[in-house]
Amino acid sequence: MLWRGSVNRPPTPEAEDGRQDQHLSLQEIINIKLVESGEKERLKELLRERLIECGWRDEMKELCRSFVRKKGKNNVTVEDLINVITPKGRASVPDSVKAELLQHIRSFLGSAAL
Amino acid sequence: MSSVKSPYTVPPPCNHLASYKLKNGLAGYTSLQEYLRIAPNGKPAISKPDSKAPGCSSCNGSHQRLYLCLSCNWISCIDHTLSHTRSSLGHEIAVDIERAELYCGTCRDQVYDPDFDRAVMCKYIREMMPRGRNGFEGISIISERSSKRRRLVPGLDSDFSVSKQLICSGDQRAKSCYPLGLRGLNNLGNTCFMNSVLQVLLNAPPLRNYFLNNKHNQDACRKASADRFCLLCDIDVIFSAVFSGDRSPFSPAQFLYSWWQHAANLASYEQQDAHEFFISLLDGIHEKEGKAKDLNKDGRDCQCIAHRVFSGLLRSDVTCMACGFTSTTYDPCMDISLHMDTNSSLSADSPNKANKSSGNNMGSSSSTLIGCLDLFTRPEKLGSDQKLHCQNCQEKQHSLKQLSIRRLPLVLCLHIKRFEHSLVRKASRKIDWYLQFPFSLDMGPYLSSSIVRKRFGNRIFPFEGDESEISSEFEIFAVVTHSGMLESGHYITFVRLRNMWYKCDDSWVTEVDEKTVRASQCYMVFYVQKMLYYKANEELSCIPISSQRDAFLPVVGCC
Repeated sequence: MLWRGSVNRPPTPEAEDGRQDQHLSLQEIINIKLVESGEKERLKELLRERLIECGWRDEMKELCRSFVRKKGKNNVTVEDLINVITPKGRASVPDSVKAELLQHIRSFLGSAAL
Repeated sequence: MSSVKSPYTVPPPCNHLASYKLKNGLAGYTSLQEYLRIAPNGKPAISKPDSKAPGCSSCNGSHQRLYLCLSCNWISCIDHTLSHTRSSLGHEIAVDIERAELYCGTCRDQVYDPDFDRAVMCKYIREMMPRGRNGFEGISIISERSSKRRRLVPGLDSDFSVSKQLICSGDQRAKSCYPLGLRGLNNLGNTCFMNSVLQVLLNAPPLRNYFLNNKHNQDACRKASADRFCLLCDIDVIFSAVFSGDRSPFSPAQFLYSWWQHAANLASYEQQDAHEFFISLLDGIHEKEGKAKDLNKDGRDCQCIAHRVFSGLLRSDVTCMACGFTSTTYDPCMDISLHMDTNSSLSADSPNKANKSSGNNMGSSSSTLIGCLDLFTRPEKLGSDQKLHCQNCQEKQHSLKQLSIRRLPLVLCLHIKRFEHSLVRKASRKIDWYLQFPFSLDMGPYLSSSIVRKRFGNRIFPFEGDESEISSEFEIFAVVTHSGMLESGHYITFVRLRNMWYKCDDSWVTEVDEKTVRASQCYMVFYVQKMLYYKANEELSCIPISSQRDAFLPVVGCC
């Protein structure tokens, strides 16, 4: 089974055409550049490191634990956890970490030929 | 002793996964192997042959988790995965691309299949990891199950019938309605550090069984050894005194004198560190027994009572960050010393706290014992000044070190490092932060099997050590707390008998509320294997106690 084709593939919806379309938003262009150059993976690694160092990941773990405890471990799905924890997680990322990541992205944009 | 269910069991597949497998067998998994690669975080992930940014085929979204349908290779974000499942019959099973984990669109939850994990691991280990010890270790994870079993040593949990007689024939004039085994210890001159540890030993179920069953016979010991001083004999004396039924405070003078012989450098009336004393005491017991029994000639584990009760095995993995080669070493330990994270920017005294809207609920991650255990087993990047020699690269490289527990002891002592000695500032200080600790503790996540398994993402496969008969569930039975400052402070111990808490403050033993214990500043927390705890409780409840007290105490099992 390859990426290209399969008999079982459902009919192609129109949205797929949008991908080859010229009208990609700036955000999408930047994202593609980040991924293609491998910079996105490096940034993800850096972010992961910083979030572990400052204890953010442990806090999220603790939040997940108490959520599962409250709901009962057989009544929780991955989706529930994602929906509940994500907003809290986003809100508690330290400013210093945000600043550092933004700095990296800025310098990448400055150097990349867009 | 019946075997305990392994702490790690494979969850049964959902109906949809089961029918997917019936229809496709392992074909889908094997074809997926081609696209497996190692993500920067070291775990397996799935990626396209070209390096285009993956996105949802329906909405091009790339900020959510993306799932690859195993039946038609359609990539979707979570919303479109769910609608895809609804619209296409039989297309329930998908793979999380970033993590190489299975997902069922109808159950709307992660599902697990050992065959899938095996397929992922085979590819991962065979081709991705460099040849070296780690490669072999990986293969052994999949194919072998260790047949090593650690038997719970008989004698430590033998039936209590002999000691029952000992206790029941004791002084029935006991005035208090406290359970037997509680008696104050006089302070002989700044010896609260010693009294606090002795109270722990007096209430550790395996030790209580050992001494009350007369496993250390003083007469036999005196005849066998020319040595005048035997710490075990002295402890035996204390046990007899404490369980005699006499409630007046006891002076463990003989024991103190014996210990001074062993630890000559600490022989004074100055204040000592309770943890240091604890380790020194275990060392003293081991030395004495070691001489008597000619041990370790054949490399077997030491059978002295100190080791049988407290000894565990730590595993240390050092991974070269250049080539991924991992070298593993095992070290025995009698306790685990945990750091409180002083560097965390979310810690209590950090000036720039992160902006949190949820207020006090999300406190410092290390202000819980669980947080400290997480910190203990977290992979640590060794600094540039600590570059280690890598066998594979043949040069010094940056390394990653991770600790985990290979084998748990019967009694687990967790020591909180509250005394910080800074070489830079040439000063010592005490860390006074409050640390929350649970009454029931599951050490499962900190076992080597769990930690190593997690390194490869969220996998299910048998791991050597999974089959251990020793459960990972523990119950607290004692807490040694310290109050005051570095140079001058006071130790007291809280002990838990039949789910009632008692405060042992030198000569004074009083019953206290659970809340008081939870609010205390813990320094050493002692847990015992859950089975041994409940067994000990049962045995205690057969002892007649004063009619003033309600004999039917509910057994509370949660933290």
